[in-house]
Amino acid sequence: MGASFSFSPTLPLAFEPPVAAPDRPEPPDRPDWLAEPSRLHPALWRVRGGQGGASGPAVEGAVPTGFAALDAELPGGGWPVRVLTELLLPTPGLGEMRLLAPLLRRLAAQGRSVLWFDPPAELHAPALQEMGCIPGGCLVVRPPAAAPGPAGRAGRRAPPGATLCWALEQALRSGQAGAVLAWPGAAARPEALRRLQLAAQAHEGPVFLLREAGAAAQSSPAPLRLQLAPAGPDELAVHIFKRRGPALAGPVHLALQPVLSERARPRAQRLADAQARVAAGATRTPGRPGGAQPVPA
Amino acid sequence: MLWIGLHLPSLSLEAFCALRGAAGADEPVALQAQHQIVAVNAAAAARGVAVGMKRATALALAPELVLGSADDTRDGAALQAVAHALLAFTPTVVPVPPQAVLAEVQPSLRYLGGPVRLWDRLAAALAPLGHRVQRAHAPTALGAWLLARAQDDGLPPRALARHPLCPPPGTTPVAEMAAWQALHERLQGLPAAWLLQAAGAATDTMLSQLEAMGLHTLADLRRQPRAGLARRFGPAVLQALDRAWGSAPHPLQPVEPPLRFASQVELWARADHAEALLGGAQVLLGRLLAWAAARHARVQSFSLLLHHESGLRDSSRGAAGPQVSRLDITLGEPTGDARHLQAVLRERLAREALAAPVLAMDLVCDTPVLGPPPDGELFPSQAGQREGLLRLVERLQARLGPEAVQTLAAWPDHRPERATVCQPAGGTLPGAPAAQARHPPAARMTRPTWLLAAPRALPERRSRPWLDGRPLHLLAGPERIETGWWDGDPVCRDYFVAQQAGGPLLWVYRLRPPPTDGSPGWFLHGRFG
Repeated sequence: MGASFSFSPTLPLAFEPPVAAPDRPEPPDRPDWLAEPSRLHPALWRVRGGQGGASGPAVEGAVPTGFAALDAELPGGGWPVRVLTELLLPTPGLGEMRLLAPLLRRLAAQGRSVLWFDPPAELHAPALQEMGCIPGGCLVVRPPAAAPGPAGRAGRRAPPGATLCWALEQALRSGQAGAVLAWPGAAARPEALRRLQLAAQAHEGPVFLLREAGAAAQSSPAPLRLQLAPAGPDELAVHIFKRRGPALAGPVHLALQPVLSERARPRAQRLADAQARVAAGATRTPGRPGGAQPVPA
Repeated sequence: MLWIGLHLPSLSLEAFCALRGAAGADEPVALQAQHQIVAVNAAAAARGVAVGMKRATALALAPELVLGSADDTRDGAALQAVAHALLAFTPTVVPVPPQAVLAEVQPSLRYLGGPVRLWDRLAAALAPLGHRVQRAHAPTALGAWLLARAQDDGLPPRALARHPLCPPPGTTPVAEMAAWQALHERLQGLPAAWLLQAAGAATDTMLSQLEAMGLHTLADLRRQPRAGLARRFGPAVLQALDRAWGSAPHPLQPVEPPLRFASQVELWARADHAEALLGGAQVLLGRLLAWAAARHARVQSFSLLLHHESGLRDSSRGAAGPQVSRLDITLGEPTGDARHLQAVLRERLAREALAAPVLAMDLVCDTPVLGPPPDGELFPSQAGQREGLLRLVERLQARLGPEAVQTLAAWPDHRPERATVCQPAGGTLPGAPAAQARHPPAARMTRPTWLLAAPRALPERRSRPWLDGRPLHLLAGPERIETGWWDGDPVCRDYFVAQQAGGPLLWVYRLRPPPTDGSPGWFLHGRFG
């Protein structure tokens, strides 16, 4: 009896709390973990029977983005977990990594790793350190251009990026990575995306697909889709064009971790404004949401 | 003493079918020896094929019958795997060819959690080998063997707990007496011919003599005068009778697992491509893991030797093609998980092109990792995640090649292209957070996240670098990097942060001194992502 009692704090899953013997003083911290078992361990939750019939963890997982303005607009208050999130950007290097930097920092602090699938260029370790995350926590997966596979042997031509899709699905199904970032490129066919969306349900963390801006016109099973555009030096305009809930009218402007010094920034701002004026004067049309947008003064 | 007896009634048929893999599980299969059918599966029996038939008769009854040859070596290897699986529970395991394994479990019964738990764990350990098992337990080894053979269907585990043959550990003498009595009662009605087989005296003359004397059961044998029995059937039969009843000691030599694992299977059909090897490979993996469990070890690396058909080598390789090709598989961490090993092997075989058709294969493991496995965990934890990630990496590397999954590390070198070290992810995986120094985020980023694999030359017009037909505006710099004269790769560059039209920031450099021969002096090296 003594042994089983000492183990009981780790087993409050679906059991009723053991009734304390009258002569045994109640541990002082007991009501705490009974009310909120998730504090003890995130995998613990309490069945709430009776009223409303609600049961199971009520946590709609979301990881804070680190940007208050963006958190306010995202359903759940952060990057959703267990689903795909699409980031559409015309060209790599707009500030998308600095947008994800707070998330990467958080994962690094938890000791979880990040899987990078087919990134568009080499990752630069000193820059990752400057962003506050650990280069050693990054696993870069680059499928070889023509990986042999069962599909290839059977005589059918494998669709482009089939190997990448296979690797991505394995990673999502295993559910062991902190976050997954993938540049699917031509592999992002609708049926592949649906499959990945299903696989992502096993993945306890955010999944980002970084695709080209033109993909905004195609439908996608991802419940959250964001369009990124540069908005001047060290600023990013994030247009949430698909989310759970009402559509967002305008883009959210975020100040990223700076590259420019205090002195250089006004100059860069003036340049951007001048370019915007030139662009507006040349075309006489307002900026499209996909292209480079003028920054509101 | 408590002996458990496992009788595997269709061992040779199962050993044959396992090689064929999952394909055609409901086809009629029969085994033949010297043109006579010796074993049939259910589908074949439904078509009227029976044991003892001539081969031609069986084929006439069922033309689609899959006929294999009985193979004592194959059966012996399968039986040995069962014995190895049992060795994980007790050191006293005795294989009794052709179809039985005996094990004494009394000393470790309390440790194993009693007979019911023991049966559950045994069933789980034997499940990967895929044999139908008849089981029994008794105070004597021979008794357990005879009862297992008689038991068409094992008792349900709950009934075992109250079974008189299996007194709980630390039991009273009265209960022990009851166990002996139950054993003797059950042995009475068993066929006398089985005892002759156990004593190794089951020749045709002996069996017919037994029949002629009207001795059908063990009870009949017991009733005969001992001297006459010994004279007619030999002293071995009398001794076996005493051993089964428990009135004579029964010394048995327990099996010992070899220090080095090597096992061979002969494929059922010639394998022309790697996927056809999967069925045989799974059988070998099952044996490997049973052996590893017997040695309380886990497996980190093993080799698969493929024996090729000598006459039919790949023409491109000519007569010099290999007779045996070798496939080495090494994991990042030792494991005892059959499914993981199978998954890794499947991916590895999928990208393997066979030099020639394969007839047989060997699995060899020289270096098992001894020691207890790490503790299991109730809740997902960091160590569990790390292990899961390692398995994922192994699976990806098995299919895509080890170079396809890389870890990053910073290297203290001012040359940007040398500041990152990529190496294939292996046993030293990320996720060990304590080992890695964590930096607080810098107030200002001085290095770009994306580095171009090769710097891209930019045209220079009006003493400014241009990209995509637009001039770049230099916002910060220069930052001079001049180093590397000592290792033959000197670098002398002025780096600038440049702004592209619209706002994206780039990292460009200018060679120093600027080239005078008209070759480009400006290069794009990175993007601040």
